[in-house]
Amino acid sequence: MEFVSPEGLRLDGRRPTEMRQLRAAIGAVSKADGSAVFEMGNTKVIAAVYGPREVENKAELINDQALVRCEYTMANFSTGDRVRKPKGDRRSTEISLVIRQTMEACIMTHLMPRSQIDIFVQVLQADGGTRSACINAATLALADAGIPMRDLVTSCSAGYLNSTPLLDLNYVEDSAGGPDVTVGFLPKLDKVTLLQMDSKLSMDIFQSVMQLAIEGCKAIANYIREVLHENTKQLEYRRGV
Amino acid sequence: MVGLSIGEKNFIRGGIAQDLRCDGRKRLSYRPIGVETGVIPQANGSARVRVGGTDIIASVKAELGRPNPSQPDQGKVSINIDCSATAAPIFQGKGGEALSTELAVALRRCLLGGAGIDLSCLSIVEGKVCWDLYIDGLVVSSDGNLLDALGAAIKAALSNTGVPKVNVIAADATSADNQPEVDVSDEEFLQFDTSTVPVIMTLIKVGKHYIVDATEEEESQMSSAISMSINRQGHICGLTKRGGAGVDPSIVLDMISVAKHVSEHFINTLDSEIAAAEAREDDS
Repeated sequence: MEFVSPEGLRLDGRRPTEMRQLRAAIGAVSKADGSAVFEMGNTKVIAAVYGPREVENKAELINDQALVRCEYTMANFSTGDRVRKPKGDRRSTEISLVIRQTMEACIMTHLMPRSQIDIFVQVLQADGGTRSACINAATLALADAGIPMRDLVTSCSAGYLNSTPLLDLNYVEDSAGGPDVTVGFLPKLDKVTLLQMDSKLSMDIFQSVMQLAIEGCKAIANYIREVLHENTKQLEYRRGV
Repeated sequence: MVGLSIGEKNFIRGGIAQDLRCDGRKRLSYRPIGVETGVIPQANGSARVRVGGTDIIASVKAELGRPNPSQPDQGKVSINIDCSATAAPIFQGKGGEALSTELAVALRRCLLGGAGIDLSCLSIVEGKVCWDLYIDGLVVSSDGNLLDALGAAIKAALSNTGVPKVNVIAADATSADNQPEVDVSDEEFLQFDTSTVPVIMTLIKVGKHYIVDATEEEESQMSSAISMSINRQGHICGLTKRGGAGVDPSIVLDMISVAKHVSEHFINTLDSEIAAAEAREDDS
């Protein structure tokens, strides 16, 4: 099947190095300490952060740092066919673990010992790149909750189909069976915190695909910074500054 | 939810007794309702309803299936609710299951079973092919009054639902096991008729008075609650009493009549919000 036309257009009309449209909103869940909605094209996820708060399970308490927990769930209606088991299946467990490890690395947990930070991510619409959208939404939600972080964490995926590196795969491109490289990146510190790939790639092509994903992460970081900036201006305005 | 102090509890109860609740509402006033339709493009119908801090997303998916042998001329509807962990940390893992099941059962009682959703319009070939509607509700954020908001979201999602037109090609009436071939149209849709779908109204008794549309804090002070579904004609389609305190039968009848009275206004408000949301969706 042809994923990149001879004119260089993908199935949804994008160029190979073009990302889907990004949309973010902060404060979607009023009861949470911090929350955000993040959309990448048709993929829409909502993240809510509760914490820092008292640890529920004393057995898990850590004396010198905060405990970070994460749960990833997909809504019943998020995919084309109804998902029968929204929680607890293996893929959800794996992605919960991945998001937790990525966010934990950048939260300054030593500043909040003996406490717990819960990150809940809910996928409302899935169209490829849910992992990345969840990490981006979690970053915004953590910032909204005022939790100290070393840097923003952004994530983007890239693939390689029809001999072309493609940025930000959607569901059709992802299920084509080609390689899918997901990168989690700290833009200011210029470090990679998450790197996952499936299928196979030769070393030199892998370099270019990973570099493309990192460029995508940097672009998302710029967008996230703008959104946070705008949100802070709104808060100032409401305070009457 | 953080626990309430004795002073706060007294404040809530005292306010309700004086017809001035914590957010300034009267006992029988609703919070402003925000309705958005068509939020899930891949579903047949969907809606998002916001009532104060409560945020609900409902989606309707239609699939072809076989009707129940005991009701061959009717389609099937199943309602499923999920309380997302984003609404409260207690809902993570299996924590939300008890509440989700309770809400789903209450909704099935109120909306299904004859007087609620009309199932006969979902039948395609009697006894052989019918539409199965899967209604999924997701509680994204919770600030009290989940049942009413879910009922409103499901009604809005059903108004937004377009069931594809089906042409029956080979109708083999003689053979009992042959599934007739049907052609599901991609172009034409039949809008679901929701004028008969009831709304759910929950009345909470705090002290000697009843309130409508309680916030989470007010719900913690309730002695008992009655949830019922009422349709446009004023008929009661389902009733549930919740809460541990026993209630005198005359009080129950009084609560029912108060709920009926409030529901007239609520049905009109909800219908106009749904119509406005659909119009906004058509424009965009």
